[in-house]
Amino acid sequence: MSSLYIHIPFCLSKCPYCSFVSYPGMDKLHQRYVAALLLEAQWLHQNASVSPLSTLFLGGGTPTIFSGRELAQLVSCCQELFAFSDQAEISIEANPKTINPEKLSLLRHSGINRLSIGVQSFNDKELQLLGRPHSAEDAAEAVQLARAAGFDNISLDLMYGLPGQDHYSWQQTLEQAISIAPDHLSLYELTVEQGTPYHLQRNQGLLDLPDEENMVIMDQLTATLCRQAGLAQYEISNYARPGYECRHNINYWQNGPYLALGAGAVGCVDGRRRQKTCDPRHYCEQIESGQSVVQEEECLERTASFRETVVMGLRMTCGVSKIQLQQRYEMDLDDYYGDTLIHLVNQGLVEITASHLRLTARGRSFANQVMAELV
Amino acid sequence: MKHIRNFSIIAHIDHGKSTLADRMIQLCNQVSVREFKDQMLDNMDIERERGITIKSQTICLPYTAKDGKTYELNLVDTPGHVDFSYEVSRALSSCEGALLLVDAAQGVQAQTLANLYLAMENNLEIIPVINKIDLQSAEPEKVAEQIEDDLGLDRDHIQLCSAKTGKGVDDILEAIVKFLPPPKGDPVSELQALIFDAHYDAFRGTIISCRLINGTIKAGEMIKFMSNNATYKVEEVGLFRGVSKEPQKQLSAGQIGYILAGIKTISDTRPGDTITHKDRPCAQALAGFKMVQQVVFSSIYPISTDDYENLATAIEKLQLNDAALTYQKDSSVALGFGFRCGFLGLLHLEVVQERLEREFDISLILTVPSVKYNFYLNDDSMVEVDNPAHFPDPSKVSRVEEPYIKATILMPERYMGVVMALCMERRGDNTHYHYPMPGRIELTCELPLAEVIYDFYDKLKSATQGYGSFDYSLYDYRKSDLVKLDILVNGELVDALSQLVHRVNSRARGLHACEQLQREIPRQMFKIAIQAAIGGSIVARTTISALRKDVIAKCYGGDISRKRKLLEKQKAGKKRMKTVGNVEIPQKAFLAVLKSEQ
Ligand SMILES: Nc1nc2c(ncn2[C@@H]2O[C@H](COP(=O)(O)OP(=O)(O)O)[C@@H](O)[C@H]2O)c(=O)[nH]1
Ligand code: SF4
Ligand SMILES: [Mg+2]
Repeated sequence: MSSLYIHIPFCLSKCPYCSFVSYPGMDKLHQRYVAALLLEAQWLHQNASVSPLSTLFLGGGTPTIFSGRELAQLVSCCQELFAFSDQAEISIEANPKTINPEKLSLLRHSGINRLSIGVQSFNDKELQLLGRPHSAEDAAEAVQLARAAGFDNISLDLMYGLPGQDHYSWQQTLEQAISIAPDHLSLYELTVEQGTPYHLQRNQGLLDLPDEENMVIMDQLTATLCRQAGLAQYEISNYARPGYECRHNINYWQNGPYLALGAGAVGCVDGRRRQKTCDPRHYCEQIESGQSVVQEEECLERTASFRETVVMGLRMTCGVSKIQLQQRYEMDLDDYYGDTLIHLVNQGLVEITASHLRLTARGRSFANQVMAELV
Repeated sequence: MKHIRNFSIIAHIDHGKSTLADRMIQLCNQVSVREFKDQMLDNMDIERERGITIKSQTICLPYTAKDGKTYELNLVDTPGHVDFSYEVSRALSSCEGALLLVDAAQGVQAQTLANLYLAMENNLEIIPVINKIDLQSAEPEKVAEQIEDDLGLDRDHIQLCSAKTGKGVDDILEAIVKFLPPPKGDPVSELQALIFDAHYDAFRGTIISCRLINGTIKAGEMIKFMSNNATYKVEEVGLFRGVSKEPQKQLSAGQIGYILAGIKTISDTRPGDTITHKDRPCAQALAGFKMVQQVVFSSIYPISTDDYENLATAIEKLQLNDAALTYQKDSSVALGFGFRCGFLGLLHLEVVQERLEREFDISLILTVPSVKYNFYLNDDSMVEVDNPAHFPDPSKVSRVEEPYIKATILMPERYMGVVMALCMERRGDNTHYHYPMPGRIELTCELPLAEVIYDFYDKLKSATQGYGSFDYSLYDYRKSDLVKLDILVNGELVDALSQLVHRVNSRARGLHACEQLQREIPRQMFKIAIQAAIGGSIVARTTISALRKDVIAKCYGGDISRKRKLLEKQKAGKKRMKTVGNVEIPQKAFLAVLKSEQ
């Protein structure tokens, strides 16, 4: 199985909490960028033996900043170059402000079968504070339009722990999201990343973030509401109706291989993880002149990779498979970690089943503490 | 030998010793322009970072004087801080003369006097030098008066210079040749070489710095250490030439140089010992050095108990180069095995800690420093205690005495009020003052040593905006009301955090320790109670609330490497922690308890 990720590093505006590779206001570059992506896809096709793709993910940034035609072209080009397995999952991230019925229909017809909508909140005041260009109504409407266009696998992205947010407001947002009957939810606690305007504001004491007490209540609310709605948690921040888990992302958490196209995109093949240049202009220039776009490369030795795989796997509710670890690394989990693991079990943070190692509910709140022991 | 001059530069801290040494090195063309860097002889990282000299250093400069003859000038740079006067006195014992450097703007300071006395004890010829005459605020006339009146040195011998611009430095070199005596000694009599310093080199073994008093030494000869009769075959002898060592055919009486003899047994070399020939030994050893008195004691533990053996060899090697350090085995319930060490002061302690961590790459935890107390027991016997772990059963103690020092503080008149207040606050007694010169006060005060080692020097510096200087000597022992302050973390005694304190300070110290721990111990998955106790009663407490969650929300393909690195950092942080009970206490927390309140 293989996965392919395509990065579209453009957005309408830059959100103050965002640390992704994404740039507003580079409209003039868009066309050239699509062309460069197609070139890179061809290069990939010629230079790498790619087994049939079982997932493709168009992420960003805001992929839907491109026209329906451009996006459809991108997907069909990939379909021409690479084989896709039956039932391949093809996802795209969308922003409510950048879609309309025609575009959605074009996307759906191009073969895209999963839509992930960046809603973030159903509270207009919060959306404003987040610097999002859309309203709560836009978001609700986007879901309707997507359903009308034939999307039957729709995910919503929401954030909690926002400035000024209390758990009542989070409850309202989450209930409203659930009322639209999404197939999948990604619920992220806001992380204040270094180098973002939020980071600066927080350091100046200008960011009124909910305290830890409130965050714990929000976590509990999240668990309860999702369970009631039949959305099962399958990763630290992800919930889905049975069968609607995102296969592309599961591959990341299993630390599997993935190909990547685009500026800032990260691919990982044969244990070699490569990050491409983040600057879209530089990316285009390099691609056009047939030069490498790899900016950084990392290759972990076997035991380090083993530990990384364990840590990533623990993000999933089902945990990491002992047998798969054994097959992949010829290393035994219990032997390798010894007392460290026993200590974590005794603290009630992880449990070891016949087949898996996984976090307990308590361990999920303290995932970093566990992972910092195992990494 | 007529053409050798061994001299040292002594001064109060920051009066320009190292800078003057730089200029002399340059004037004598001893290092290439490319090799030269400021503060040439301060080659330890800590020295360069802090801008102070800790170790004395030697360099041999060939100088062609105005009389046309070439002289061998052996310059020994020395530290200025009170903690390192032992280092100074050892350096002086290898010289016949000294340049006494005085800052033209600051005038005579406490360490100027202290170092001058050391030089006089060693019968050195002294050339007074007024430095920094380039400064706007320089008052060379006034300083010259001080030198004549207060120090009793001959005004006509005073040299004026700016070590910064180089002005006057050539005259100083001339004066050295003219006024300082050449070494005495007999090159043909039996070998007597005084070891005044040493350091360990992983490849070549111990590198001995020595001053040849009598006789000669060359490669191939069998030598013997007088104190332990250990014998070695000399592999190489030579002179210090700045950054490098220059091998010589031989060293002879009067010279300062180094000896290599493949010495791998560290303990064989002791500064102060005499080296002689195995087959033609000298009649008796040289006088060696006065024993120094350690005044501050603290235990050093490796963070990782696996590092104990490494620490043991590291301390042994460091002691070779820092003869003022003493150590013996110690152990703690919380920290495992370590060493109880004696230091000359807190700066010395910090320097030892930093050198161990940097030069030997071992992470350490230090316990709260203590002075040495005399405990008189009911049966009239006396025990010396410098370690809280050895605090005797209070019911068996009839009285306790603590060491007092006599402090000499020199400062401009206007700071008298704040400095008096500081001394009183530190249980000072019997203060006297006089005006050694107009506008300046010399204050003497008897203070408990325990109050001085804590943070007195820093406080004095800030109270006098840097204009106050300070020197002290041990004075006597006096009755004290001493208690043992314990720290409990979640009910468990952390023995490494116990300290001996005067009862009047105990609550404040207890609270300070609790607050520092509260600040430095990261929140954990449960609530942590921190208490300070004397005997059975709690005198201060703080709590650290429980961590409720600690989790990375998002982690996809592009994030994996970065997030893994964050976790690895967290893991490295955990490694630097000691687990007491079930609480992880970082090294920083142990060190924070030692820091004074701000
Ligand atoms: N203006 C001026 N500054 C000097 C002179 N000599 C030394 N300094 C400065 O005084 C400070 C202390 O000098 P240093 O040589 O480290 O003093 P040490 O502590 O006695 O070794 C440094 O900042 C030097 O640059 C001088 O002749 N003139
Ligand atoms: S829309 Fe998403 S990628 Fe774009 S700036 Fe906002 S958070 Fe970043
Ligand atoms: Mg210096």
